[in-house]
Amino acid sequence: MDAELAEERVLQAEIAAVRRACENPPAPWEEKSRVQKSFQAIHQFTSEGWKSSKDLKNQLGHLESELSFLSTLTGINIRNYSRQTEDLTSTEMAEKSIRKVLQRHRLSGNCHMVTFQLEFQILEIQNKERLSSAVTDLNIIMEPTECSELSEFVSRAEDRKDLFMFFRSLHFFVEWFEYRKRTFKHFKEKYPDAVYLSEGPSSCSMGIRSASRPGFELVIVWRIQIDEDGKVFPKLDLLTKVPQRALELDKNRAIEAAPLSFRTLLGVLGIEAALESLIKSLCAEENN
Amino acid sequence: MAGILAPGLGVLAHLERLENQTSRSRKRSEAQAQERVLGTKIQKLRHLRDDPRAALWHRRGSVKACIANVEPNRTVEVNEQEALEEKLENVKAILQAYHFTGLSGKLTSRGVCVCINTAFEGNLLDSYFVDLVIQKPLRIHHHSVPVFIPLEEIAAKYLQTNIQHFLFSLCEYLNAYSGRKYQADRLQSDFAALLTGPLQRNPLCNLLSFTYKLDPGGQSFPFCARLLYKDLTATLPTDVTVTCQGGEALSTSWEEQRASHETLFCTKPLHQVFASFARREKLEMSLVS
Repeated sequence: MDAELAEERVLQAEIAAVRRACENPPAPWEEKSRVQKSFQAIHQFTSEGWKSSKDLKNQLGHLESELSFLSTLTGINIRNYSRQTEDLTSTEMAEKSIRKVLQRHRLSGNCHMVTFQLEFQILEIQNKERLSSAVTDLNIIMEPTECSELSEFVSRAEDRKDLFMFFRSLHFFVEWFEYRKRTFKHFKEKYPDAVYLSEGPSSCSMGIRSASRPGFELVIVWRIQIDEDGKVFPKLDLLTKVPQRALELDKNRAIEAAPLSFRTLLGVLGIEAALESLIKSLCAEENN
Repeated sequence: MAGILAPGLGVLAHLERLENQTSRSRKRSEAQAQERVLGTKIQKLRHLRDDPRAALWHRRGSVKACIANVEPNRTVEVNEQEALEEKLENVKAILQAYHFTGLSGKLTSRGVCVCINTAFEGNLLDSYFVDLVIQKPLRIHHHSVPVFIPLEEIAAKYLQTNIQHFLFSLCEYLNAYSGRKYQADRLQSDFAALLTGPLQRNPLCNLLSFTYKLDPGGQSFPFCARLLYKDLTATLPTDVTVTCQGGEALSTSWEEQRASHETLFCTKPLHQVFASFARREKLEMSLVS
């Protein structure tokens, strides 16, 4: 009985509360206005959303064309980039108004046939007078890895933490590489029987043979070197293959002097003309 | 009838018993009835409570359902929007990343404003800009390249035929200038103690002249150095002359030192050479004391 009575009391109280909740207009109205508000918000969002979606698409299109323009302008195509920032300011430093921030960057892309992947860190120290930024770590992965000159150059850039030199030299290297390829290809097409490229147009040497003079061979080795300062320059050498008999007949030692003469020739005529003259000299009869 | 054998007394007791029984059962049924009434009352009350509550909850629930019904479309919109925003952020980041190649740019109404960043041995230094007008012929609208950098020369050679070469060539000159300037600045700021006179330099920082002593305040004669950087795309001098003031005939050890200094200046950056001087001096001092 007591329990029932107690329950009765509780129920009465609950009913009173529910009645109040039902009767007070704000409660359900609140709900409705909240719904209205969210509807409005959603509608705004979607209509703004639709508006800014078009806006976004336009913006994206504009930026993407800017990116492709930059890629054409520099010859460097960056495909991925991410970065993390770490604040290294200690409380001591903060008291002296010094701020120290470490940024970690990851960047990958390609420059023509060379693909690169870089990871580097930049430490920024800001004090009252100035802001100093320095590259504190640089790691470079580059492909193709066949060119030994490139791998030496990469280690040097990493040691020096010279990010800009890396890209500058990369650009000039690729420029020379493409020029060498075009030049070799041109001669192969012009003199298909005389010229042979052992590794295709990307090879670093071009051979000249003559059907009418078997046993004689001229090989031009064209290397692209990168020096200490990141300067890129071509280095061409001439190698001769001559039958023993011809060597014996060579009283003037022309063959011995050939490599040096070639260097002089290069200086006078430039690369293309010098190569052309070599081909013509060996294959004179065929070209008449 | 149990009371026949004891007439009178038994009957009263019996009647009492009966009365008690009746009153007890009456009380019991009353209680039961009361319980029943209370039970029904409680049920009714529960109903009263639950019904409007149910109505309220139902109302709330239906509102939630309303919102939920709206959300599926919203999520589709949001997904597309989020994807676009992510792509936008990605492209913006890559555009920023071009700064790390040393060469970046922003499209302008006329063409492009190219920004050239310079650095020396990892230290990020000044930036310069060249505002190009994309027309036939290409021309430079304005720029912040110092006047002593041969911009016109480089432009005359490459701007019209190979714009990439023009830009990277300009990069070479500016980076080399920045590097030379940095070395000279560091010498003046960090190693003033070893200099016996002011550092003389030209704006291009390719001709430096200074006198220095390995042991400041000591008895030795000062050295006189002249550094010429003929190659404007280099950060190391092409011509170095080191002479020793005062002595007409130098002892062999001085001559050796003089010659080694010449080599050092040709092969290492200026401030690093002086850093090694300072280290050597410190070492010698510690050995002496």
